[in-house]
Amino acid sequence: MLKATIDADILKESIDALSALVTECRLHTDENGVITRAVDTANVAMVSLTLKKEAFESYSSSKSELGLDIAKMKNVFTMMGKNDIITLELPENSHKLKISFEGYRYSLTLLDPSTIRKDPNPPNIDLPGKVVLPGAELNNAIKAATVVSDKIALGIDPQAQIFYMTAEGDTDHIRREFGKDEVNFLNGVEARSLFSLDYLKDMGRVMSRAAEVEVSLGTDHPAKFSFYIASGNGRVEYLLAPRIEAD
Amino acid sequence: MGVLLRDIIADYKTPLSWETLAGVAALDSHNALYQFLSIIRQPDGTPLMDHTGRVTSHLSGILFRAVNFMEKGIHPVWVFDGIPPEFKQETINQRRSIREQARERWQEALERGEVEEAARHARASSRIDQEIISTSKNLISLLGMPWIDAPSEGEAQAADMVKRGDARYVVSQDYDTLLFGAPMLVRNLTVSGRRKLHGRTVSVNPERIVLAELLTGLRISREDLIRIGILVGTDFNTGVRGIGAKTALKLVRNGEFERVVSEKIPETDTESILEFFQNPPVIVDYSLAWRQPDREGVLTMLCDSYDFSPDRVEKALDSLTVKSGQKTLDSWF
Repeated sequence: MLKATIDADILKESIDALSALVTECRLHTDENGVITRAVDTANVAMVSLTLKKEAFESYSSSKSELGLDIAKMKNVFTMMGKNDIITLELPENSHKLKISFEGYRYSLTLLDPSTIRKDPNPPNIDLPGKVVLPGAELNNAIKAATVVSDKIALGIDPQAQIFYMTAEGDTDHIRREFGKDEVNFLNGVEARSLFSLDYLKDMGRVMSRAAEVEVSLGTDHPAKFSFYIASGNGRVEYLLAPRIEAD
Repeated sequence: MGVLLRDIIADYKTPLSWETLAGVAALDSHNALYQFLSIIRQPDGTPLMDHTGRVTSHLSGILFRAVNFMEKGIHPVWVFDGIPPEFKQETINQRRSIREQARERWQEALERGEVEEAARHARASSRIDQEIISTSKNLISLLGMPWIDAPSEGEAQAADMVKRGDARYVVSQDYDTLLFGAPMLVRNLTVSGRRKLHGRTVSVNPERIVLAELLTGLRISREDLIRIGILVGTDFNTGVRGIGAKTALKLVRNGEFERVVSEKIPETDTESILEFFQNPPVIVDYSLAWRQPDREGVLTMLCDSYDFSPDRVEKALDSLTVKSGQKTLDSWF
């Protein structure tokens, strides 16, 4: 059973965070809120989303598992107005999620959770380098890089006290350096890994809305990007596997 | 081969685009190898061979399928058959005699100069021997892909891997995987998008069958689906003459399975077959990892030893390497 009302913007923000990587996911709900963790079909990136009950206008739920078709949800958004209050309702043992707002009454058939990939285990990775910077800056550097290449290196140079993003194309090169005045070095140790821009540009679009994104890095290790949504009542974490650096 | 359920499954097939298939795929290797051996042949039916007469059709098939899969983000695990259950012996003997007959007819047709006729019989004479299997595994390893020896039927192992969430779907042409409980089966993943069907070449697209949708739609349980299989005939029993999938569905729905079995095929050990489809021997301690292909190793094997054209193999390896530069999160879970 789930019965909740939520601001359209917060719902949209949450679904957008998921849709950057996956088209379907298992939502776990209980009295404290909603969580989901899903890996993209190629096993390259993972998204975790936590939405506390405080993110909702009103919220009550029993422990349950919902199979969400994200593409379908995005269609519903096109009808929503900014700041509409959305009512979500899933009766006990039902497979149809009722979504209503501004005169619209949707009934969406949920996916059978058993047909969705099982939840990945929480990965246990030691990523020593940690910096915090505005999401918009991060996204701008990603966008700049897509013009010259399909991959980008993220790294920390502890001597120079620099967090850098650098993309090498066939003919062109882009490097964006962030000094101490622009990023907060939580742990400025040596790190460098290469990532696919195919993934990063979709994640960047979502992260651009976050005031602060915490980036965790290692060397030839995945990168973790975490940030708050829903005025601090929700948190998103992206984990992206690296590409192999060509010699 | 396989169980003839097409008539009742047709409505539950969803066409798919290749782009939606990324992820780990458990491949029914024998099914794939059989396809390669029967399709990749010269116009008169002679398989591809090196200068010493060793068959290479399967190696060509594996190489180009690997390239195609990797380009689409599909990570294949090749699952090989182990020791068949005892009650499969009859099927195996039948298949052997079909192959032997086909081989004779192929030779006869060649002598008469009837090329098309010869090719048809040649395809039916395809067989997978130890040499084919060991060279296949060799090449698969060199290409950086994992393979698994199933303790018994490969299809059962592949189905179990999907159930456990280690793979997204089974790739096979046979519906048996559904009887083994595979949550999702994907068919027609051929490189060319073409398939030989009853001697004609037809163009085919990938299609998906979700077990839960099939069972809900037919209003039957998985046990019922196995019962239907038993009536039409599986790899483990010959079935009832004159009963097709539609009739079998009706009989099973009406609860007449036991009666038909005791009247028509009393010698069939239906309990053992049901049990085998529901709880087949499988292994769970495997590790799946995809690595960069061993370029030199592949070139040495295919070009130096089996007379492949270095140009074609190099090109295939190029497209494999570029796409597999991306690591997956598997290494960190």
